[in-house]
Amino acid sequence: MILFDLPTNTDVMAGSALKRLLAEYKQLTLNPPEGIIAGPVDEENFFEWEALIMGPEDTCFEGGVFPARLTFPSDYPLSPPKMKFTCDIFHPNIYSDGRVCISILHAPGDDPMGYETSAERWSPVQSVEKILLSVVSMLAEPNDESAANVDAAKTWRDDRKKFLEIAERTVRKSLGI
Amino acid sequence: MKAVLLTGVSFVLTSIVVGNAYYQKKQFYPSVVYITKSNPSMAMLYIQAFVGVILMGKLMRKIFFGQLRAAEMEHLIERSWYAVTETCLAFTVFRDDFSPRFVALFTLLLFLKCFHWLAEDRVDYMERSPVISVKFHIRVLSLLGLLGMLDLYFINDAYYSTLTKGASVQLVFGFEYAVLLTVVWMTLMKYILHSIDLQNENPWENKAVYLLYTELIIGFIKVVLYIVFMAIMIKVHTFPLFAIRPMYLSLRGFKKALHDVIMSRRAIQNMNTLYPDATAEELQAGDNVCIICREDMLATCKKLPCNHIFHTSCLRSWFQRQQTCPTCRMDVLRMTRAEAAAPQQPPQQQQQPQPQQPQVPQMPQNLFQGFPGMPPMWPNMPQQPQAAPGTSGASSTTTSATAMPSSTAGTSTVGATSTQPTPTTTGTTTVPPIVPPMLPFMMPYGSYAMPRPPRNLAGVSAEELRAMEGQERENVEARLQWLQDIQALLDGAMVLINQYNTVATQTGIAGISAASFPLSQNKSDKKEEMKADSSQNSSQHTNTQGPGLQPTDKTDREDQKLDFSGLEGATGFSPAKEETIPAWEDPHEEEHNDEMHEVRKRRLQKFTQENPSGVKTEHKSQD
Repeated sequence: MILFDLPTNTDVMAGSALKRLLAEYKQLTLNPPEGIIAGPVDEENFFEWEALIMGPEDTCFEGGVFPARLTFPSDYPLSPPKMKFTCDIFHPNIYSDGRVCISILHAPGDDPMGYETSAERWSPVQSVEKILLSVVSMLAEPNDESAANVDAAKTWRDDRKKFLEIAERTVRKSLGI
Repeated sequence: MKAVLLTGVSFVLTSIVVGNAYYQKKQFYPSVVYITKSNPSMAMLYIQAFVGVILMGKLMRKIFFGQLRAAEMEHLIERSWYAVTETCLAFTVFRDDFSPRFVALFTLLLFLKCFHWLAEDRVDYMERSPVISVKFHIRVLSLLGLLGMLDLYFINDAYYSTLTKGASVQLVFGFEYAVLLTVVWMTLMKYILHSIDLQNENPWENKAVYLLYTELIIGFIKVVLYIVFMAIMIKVHTFPLFAIRPMYLSLRGFKKALHDVIMSRRAIQNMNTLYPDATAEELQAGDNVCIICREDMLATCKKLPCNHIFHTSCLRSWFQRQQTCPTCRMDVLRMTRAEAAAPQQPPQQQQQPQPQQPQVPQMPQNLFQGFPGMPPMWPNMPQQPQAAPGTSGASSTTTSATAMPSSTAGTSTVGATSTQPTPTTTGTTTVPPIVPPMLPFMMPYGSYAMPRPPRNLAGVSAEELRAMEGQERENVEARLQWLQDIQALLDGAMVLINQYNTVATQTGIAGISAASFPLSQNKSDKKEEMKADSSQNSSQHTNTQGPGLQPTDKTDREDQKLDFSGLEGATGFSPAKEETIPAWEDPHEEEHNDEMHEVRKRRLQKFTQENPSGVKTEHKSQD
């Protein structure tokens, strides 16, 4: 109830970042993409979002539901948000503390890995929805060239069976089984 | 819970220490002496003082901040660790002055630093917080006032102590508090800017600009402070290792601020002067939502050279970060730099397509192949692969350049195309084959009085014209093809005239006079071009001694006569045309050329001064 009251209430005071986040939230609630749920943690603070991502079908993460947290900077959408999985997940492109390492979450200025072209980096055209969809495709197709979690990348490359086992365990864990 | 327990224990122990002293000595003064003499008691009192400071901090936090947010807490802890290590490093430098008073001063400094950071974080939070209460304003203002006063007091203190007692630890404190004072300033400025922003209904466009400049100035002050501090410290004591990290950070911050300011200034200036405002039709054509803020575009919008449209304010704030198109990432600065560089190049260089390449970063290499390779940035370009790139190429580029409705295209195409080859034959003006992108779309209106400008230009913005004319490669090829065709025609005409002359001498009629009439010359050129347009493969005419030319010859006999000198001139330098176009620059043309150049330059200046809408009206008036 508060959710959709808020835009009108805060229109007067909100900065452009807040306005855009509200617009995106509305968009995501009205037509949610498949397998993704996202929204602010509480209505007081629109700069912290919680997202639930379903493991993509026909991959080792199928059936899992992975919670993540998105933290938006105050100059969003000029700077990218940060994304961090709040569950255990063993994946080449996710740091062991849950931080997601994909190029569209990196501002074009800094290049932590030194190989991404600026074409695949953050720009205001990107959105929460696009980020989450990229994360889904990242789950489906790990990129072991640029590993955030080297162990996971190595397992993925050399010992696929073990990787699948671990993935299955994370899926089960994410469902609380 | 643990903290409460520890605090309790510390209080109990302190009261035991004090009680014990008083119990033993019975009187106030002796018991004070007893406590100061006894090391365990003093240790206990120091711990108590530390606990007191923490309690004090909690109280102040309650007063000024209320509950801290998780992010603020995280920041605070992270920064405190750095500060503590730096303080320890500072202790090593000043080990000679080491005393409880010294430790107390450092603790106080750390304590105040924490509050500066918290104030900074809190003010940053203003931007994200949907509702700002009056209480918030009071808290921030009183905190900033208090911190500012304390900083000033300590700076003053350090200054006088240094003056009276010579350089000591006070120097460090003086500089530390001076840096903290800049933090207070910055926070205050941010607070003021955010507050103004909050007062307005719409996001305040200029806020980011002010923020950027504030950051630049404060960054500069900080850098100066650190450098002075470093110099004095090296002179008085030793190398201040503990100041390295903050100094590096402030230097980096300053450099970034400077870079941001310069780049964004450039990009924004470009935006204001070069890019046109989006028209209502253009807004209607798209989905009318600014991709940056996801809101309808009703206010002023700008169109980038890549045809993407955004709010002016959104673009401005994005250009402060990055100078690229948000959608296609075309480098806005690189484009305009190339454009600016182009007119200064001598004609010899302008012939080469390579230097022009950067203008269109996404341009594929195989432009010679013609239209299929055309980048997607020009949507209204007809995508027709042509077998004969010559005349048809020229007409298609010019039609699309002027973007005329198809009904008028037929007639005005000729007019438009004829503008380009004529100067070369008349010899009054020389157009470099690759014209800097600003020029070509002005030429039909300004440089030549003769050809009628295409009428219907309302639908095309100047920007579109320019973007399409930016395809120099095609234009040049087309023009060269035209010139070759004309040359072939002229050769044919020469043969005819020679025949005529021989016949004339035989029959005793006077030869053709060599007077030049540029106007009629132009006319005939135009006709010839029209002919060339109709008969694509005009090179055959020379072989067959131009049966196609015959009708022209008959109908415009007089014209042909008058044309003779001009033709001779044209054929005279025609061999050079095929490879080296600079051969056009013979001394006669130089003068005209300079004149035209002057006019063009002036026009260019005028153009860049005016905003794009002004240019549009200028065009209309020229029409």
